[in-house]
Amino acid sequence: MNLLRAILLLILFITPLKANTIYNIIKIPNLEIYEINTKNKLKYFYATAPFRLGIQKNIVCSNSNKKDLEKKYKIIYKNLSRYSHGYLKKINLKYIVMCENLSISELYTAGIPDNIMKTLIIDIKFNEDYFERIIHHEVFHIIYLQHKKIFNDKDWIKFNSPKFKYAECSTCTKKISLEKYDKTQGFFSEYSKSTASEDMAEVYSHMIYLKKEEIDQISKLDPILNNKISYIKSKIKRIDDSFTF
Amino acid sequence: MIKKIVASRSEKIILIFLIILGILTFGTYFVIKNECLFVKNFNPKNINFKDSKNIAILNVSCGNVIIELYPNVSPNGVARFIHLIRTNAYENIAFHRVIKNKLVQAGDLKFGKKGALDYRKIGTGKSGLGTIKSEIDNKFSYTKGSVGLARTFKNDTEDSQFFIILQDEPLFEGEYTPVGKVLYGLEILKKIKNQRNSEYILRPDFINTFKMLD
Repeated sequence: MNLLRAILLLILFITPLKANTIYNIIKIPNLEIYEINTKNKLKYFYATAPFRLGIQKNIVCSNSNKKDLEKKYKIIYKNLSRYSHGYLKKINLKYIVMCENLSISELYTAGIPDNIMKTLIIDIKFNEDYFERIIHHEVFHIIYLQHKKIFNDKDWIKFNSPKFKYAECSTCTKKISLEKYDKTQGFFSEYSKSTASEDMAEVYSHMIYLKKEEIDQISKLDPILNNKISYIKSKIKRIDDSFTF
Repeated sequence: MIKKIVASRSEKIILIFLIILGILTFGTYFVIKNECLFVKNFNPKNINFKDSKNIAILNVSCGNVIIELYPNVSPNGVARFIHLIRTNAYENIAFHRVIKNKLVQAGDLKFGKKGALDYRKIGTGKSGLGTIKSEIDNKFSYTKGSVGLARTFKNDTEDSQFFIILQDEPLFEGEYTPVGKVLYGLEILKKIKNQRNSEYILRPDFINTFKMLD
């Protein structure tokens, strides 16, 4: 028993020292500050070297070159600037990590939200066609995780036709296209059909990304999406009464 | 007849050199051993404070660290901190987490007490008073010498542990509840025992006393 204790202590005291403030705060290694003096107090970091995260180290992301970072930072900054500091505080988002080729268990993904660490990791090399909208899609995941009690999957499912069924999980389906349907029929994109929370994130991101007139038009023509849009609107109002889409 | 042996000039020089070398070696031994030798200690009685009721004196091995507390910035955090100081709860508590020239952390009242250190659990102990809410909305710049309350990954988990930063940390702003700033004695904190390979310290330094000035 004493030997076991000695070994445990030895491991504790020879653990490499990662005296990096960013690592201490959000537990992601190899990051540097990109910009921290922003109006809504979001802090932007970038990867200086590839990093691995998670208990099984199954989350992987690589560093980017300066030119790509400059280009994508402007886009991310512009999109996230529409959120006030007050709103970000309520949804618990404070840190943005920019890196590329982000994957979970070898499945590529646009972003990884972590409401506990107040962090959103964004793959800056994600599909250019949907990059801006996807930023808001990932923001919704932070909102959903932070306010789980507000969003109810069962209530959401009732908006769809009784015959429709979501997949078991967002990665266990081939319905992954993010292209917006011309004729919506209850869903903004094919990916909306993966899970209830992904569907919510798609509705939210389109509500942010599309012009108000377009959303009003879709609401008029598509009763299912009209219900879904109203649902998201009312739930976001509960979180922050001052927020406007 | 015994012939008197007279030391040559070069022998005298060698002798003087050896004596100087001996003095230097002996002196250096004490200089190196006394890590506090070149650190200025501050006597709070010799200092005039604008607001003496919010001054706390942290005494560690190299001397006094004089801290001004900011109840206007974090009323609940400072109230908890003062309560623990006034009840002498911090006495003989370890600086269990030290990062050289970056920060020192102490205040684990359960597992960081001198004579009852628990290395397996140090840093996780509670005060028994319960946690308090984070106070991170008021403007506060985390410049070197700032004192903040430590917490777990989640907000509203502040208790008795506190840290003092030895360099500017702008990322701490809005992250940790600030309670004050070191007015004098930051160099004294830099002498607190640290370890090259670990933030957690084997045979750490301890707080001698922690008292309010009034």
